[in-house]
Amino acid sequence: MSSRLVRISIPIWLTAIFGILMLVEFFFPMPKIVIDTNVTLRSFVTIVSAAALILGTVILTIAHVRRISDRKPEWYYSIIYLISFAVAAALGLISVRETNFMWIYNNMTSPIGAALYSLTAFYITSAAYRVFRARNWNAAVLLITGFIVLMMLIPVGAAIFPPIVPMGEWIRSFPSSAGFRGMIIGTSLGTIGLGVRIYTGRQKEHLGIREEKMEGS
Amino acid sequence: MLALVALLIIVAAILFYMQRAFSGKIPNLRRLPAVDVIAEILGRCVEMGRPAWYLFGSTSMTTPSILAPTVAAFQTLAYTARMAARVGAKFFVPVNQGLAYTMAYDIVNEAYRAEGKLEDFDPLRTVMYLPAGADRMYIINHMWEEQVAGAFFLGSWYHEAVIYTENAARVGALMLGGTDTTHNIPFMVAICDYSIIGEELYALGAYISQDPTQSSSLAGQDIGKYFTIILILIGAVLATAGISISWLFKM
Repeated sequence: MSSRLVRISIPIWLTAIFGILMLVEFFFPMPKIVIDTNVTLRSFVTIVSAAALILGTVILTIAHVRRISDRKPEWYYSIIYLISFAVAAALGLISVRETNFMWIYNNMTSPIGAALYSLTAFYITSAAYRVFRARNWNAAVLLITGFIVLMMLIPVGAAIFPPIVPMGEWIRSFPSSAGFRGMIIGTSLGTIGLGVRIYTGRQKEHLGIREEKMEGS
Repeated sequence: MLALVALLIIVAAILFYMQRAFSGKIPNLRRLPAVDVIAEILGRCVEMGRPAWYLFGSTSMTTPSILAPTVAAFQTLAYTARMAARVGAKFFVPVNQGLAYTMAYDIVNEAYRAEGKLEDFDPLRTVMYLPAGADRMYIINHMWEEQVAGAFFLGSWYHEAVIYTENAARVGALMLGGTDTTHNIPFMVAICDYSIIGEELYALGAYISQDPTQSSSLAGQDIGKYFTIILILIGAVLATAGISISWLFKM
């Protein structure tokens, strides 16, 4: 088979056929065999993702080993990675439900994740400072509406100025909702356009393919 | 059934404009400012001798709402990586999901190959897999360490949008942010120097593709917009008049 057929035509045809199959299942009642096929196909996604995860982990490990061998700055942190990886992988291979593995997850992985997540609050504060400066007319509108909604949400706001509550609710229910819905409609149309371009084979960059390169090869 | 009819009308409009493009009739499209911004950011990075980063946010491609913006961001990645290779900008693409990593790797590798700069592509560094969760500290730390001069934040973004864009802003990076995740659009607009919102994320990829059929599809999407505006106006009039057409949606 030619290189073009394998690298371009087959992936595009498969994408189009299976994509349309999923679409048809959404709109019409389908025979059990079609539904079962679609369920199996969806499970393939999980399997492919898992395989890609292994590939990613191997590459990450190679990068750290290379960092140690090249004695790059702060290379010793890579040793911690390798030790952590080896311990977690060994315990996970014994059993993911084994107490030691779950201890690592519950007492190390999970708290680190939560701590990082909590950083968001501080960054939002500094981002708010960056935004809420009335540099121009648009920023002034944002500052005023943001202030009203903020005052509505905190108890002291209603205590100081009771009409702030209906004002804030009006902003959230009408201008804000209308803007968001417009955004969602636009995004949905963009997604449909993206789907059509992919199914017709016009857009294929996500496959790592550039047509003019293939023609030259 | 109504949803199917609406979908078919929009798809037909897109295919109509794509077909017209084949026969050489290209519609006039407003140039997205973001197209010029990509060159500006990469040019700045080259001048300053500092890297440009391309970040995706959440890339869990098994989630439909994340899949579409990620694929859209991949198309812009193909263009950006190729331009980075051409102008000689240091380019770094961290990805936090295995499947997206393999795709991003292929895209960037192909871009460098197309520009004849494969020697500038580091297989272990240019596109790097950073497991979700652990990626945040690496990205924050290295943004400061490498003094990133330019950053692209495109795709599906959640809480990490604020963390990364704020750090990039403090480092002094010139930023282009774009997402269709409605609750994070405000942060992108507020913090980034340039932003694309909602459907512009999808339009940007088609616009920069230099393929007339792809860019023409945007005109078809506009037909969908007009169709939606008409429906909204009819709905508003009917609702104001107290006429219910809920039976129509039960078909």
